[in-house]
Amino acid sequence: MSDRIKELTETARLVRKDLLKMIHLAKDGHPGPSLSVVDILTALYFGTMRIDPENPKWPERDRCILSKGHACPALYAILARLGFFSPDELPGLRSLESMLQGHPDMNKTPGIDTTSGSLGNGISIGLGMALAGRIKGLDYTTYVVTGDGELEEGVVWEAMMAAEHYRLGRLIVFIDNNEMQSGGPVKSISGLYPILPKLKAFGWHCQEINGHDFTEILEAVRCAQQETSHPSVILAHTIKGQGVPFMIGDNSWHKRVPTESELEEALAALGGDR
Amino acid sequence: MKQENTRIAVTETLMELAGKDPDIVLVCSDSLLVIKAKPYVDKYPERFIDVGIAEQNAVCCAAGLASCGLIPFVATYAGFITMRACEQVRTFVAYPGLNVKMIGANGGIAAGEREGVTHQFFEDLGILRAIPGITIVVPADAGQVREAVRAVAHQEGPAYIRIGSGRDPVVFEKPFPLEIGKVRILREEGRDVALFANGSILPRVLAAADELSQQGIKASVVEVHTLKPLDVETITEVLSQTGAAVTVEDHNIIGGLGSAIAEVIAENKPVPLVRVGLRDIFPRSGRPEKLLDYYNMGVSDIVAGARKAIEKKGER
Repeated sequence: MSDRIKELTETARLVRKDLLKMIHLAKDGHPGPSLSVVDILTALYFGTMRIDPENPKWPERDRCILSKGHACPALYAILARLGFFSPDELPGLRSLESMLQGHPDMNKTPGIDTTSGSLGNGISIGLGMALAGRIKGLDYTTYVVTGDGELEEGVVWEAMMAAEHYRLGRLIVFIDNNEMQSGGPVKSISGLYPILPKLKAFGWHCQEINGHDFTEILEAVRCAQQETSHPSVILAHTIKGQGVPFMIGDNSWHKRVPTESELEEALAALGGDR
Repeated sequence: MKQENTRIAVTETLMELAGKDPDIVLVCSDSLLVIKAKPYVDKYPERFIDVGIAEQNAVCCAAGLASCGLIPFVATYAGFITMRACEQVRTFVAYPGLNVKMIGANGGIAAGEREGVTHQFFEDLGILRAIPGITIVVPADAGQVREAVRAVAHQEGPAYIRIGSGRDPVVFEKPFPLEIGKVRILREEGRDVALFANGSILPRVLAAADELSQQGIKASVVEVHTLKPLDVETITEVLSQTGAAVTVEDHNIIGGLGSAIAEVIAENKPVPLVRVGLRDIFPRSGRPEKLLDYYNMGVSDIVAGARKAIEKKGER
């Protein structure tokens, strides 16, 4: 394992611990979907994105839209670790005085590029950001991280059509494909699967990876960046609750607060003394 | 009555603005022909985005553009922005306060006229008024649309401008500056009743004021072109002077101007009120002038409303 991969792995481990503590303290939140997306977000923010925590509104920065806004504890923990704001803010999640809203708010939290939380809208907003880059002559990349369940929303496909129509090579969409949604397994709720044949038919550059393997994530981003004439999608197979064995396979952790002892067990499972 | 197309007024004003400001972008949802924007597209193809028949996508896309510093104008039918894409307007434009400008065509039953209910939009203002942070402008005619487009382009934040069918009456012969957030008192002689109105129905209101005058009733006419933020102070003053009010709008009487004035009346200056507008029903296709008459928005309805409001004064 290279040093870079080791560092990302360690960061993701700490982010998982951060977000579990945050949700425990907030007494509200979505641990399962946050844990599934941690590695993708960690790879993006610590591994590939052009950002400056000192200058969160830097016009030339890469953008990242967390379309699955309910996973924001993961994003907040990452932004704090990058220095967009103090880690002292993290325990305030969802409280009245806090800058950390229940779902991301671009005006309250430094480093959040887009308000999100109402599902399915991220790719469409990303479409606008990518078009803005083209109009303004800036070469930033727009990343969108979406869940798989939220692809059931119609606006997703409206945006998919338009992004290919405009040949937005600087739009890269990650699907955090954890196969679960609020009400249960995606395949028991909708006819969404298979996803990639649909996107191939829409003209997108498609890749399929293990969303918990940093080498694969970084390589997929590299390939997507080389594709300049079509938007890219990276379908990342993930596990809801990844890192915390007792949360895996139990969809009650979609939105549930770990008790004191459950938190301890989860933190112990994640290992290390921090 | 002389006509000027409010949709062409939007496009021409956008072209004028785009020539000066490289951040102006037009976003359509296959609505290019709706707002007659071909000349804009020919001149500024790189600042024209058509997302197809997909209003939710148009609004989110505009939010993305605005968050990167551009000034997108989303232009399509009023109901498709405010109903089909309502949640996108609320959560991704209004909530973050993004600099997205929305142009809603076919505002009112007269503007939807022969298309029928699917294209007659009489709920748009009520829907948007319930969402925090959106400037809502209902210009009277094409000249006022030009003023409104310029005004919202130069002010930061979300805005909605309601326009018509393209066969829109000229209300004001001369250019008339439009100050966002202020009412405009068109007739001040009235001490008997105030007629509050906006949009292309204004000529009927002015005609009603003339008729009332012939009957010895002095009516003030107040144009409330900005429904939000509402000029509560001036409206309250007018209510104090007249002691009775009529609202006239080509919109459902629930949610729009009638409701806005009713709120001011209830909170600041209780006086009798009669609301003239679509009476909470679905209308039919028809010629615009006939439609307005048929659905109780005729000059005689306004006159009768004024008399009724004045009558109620005595009952108090």
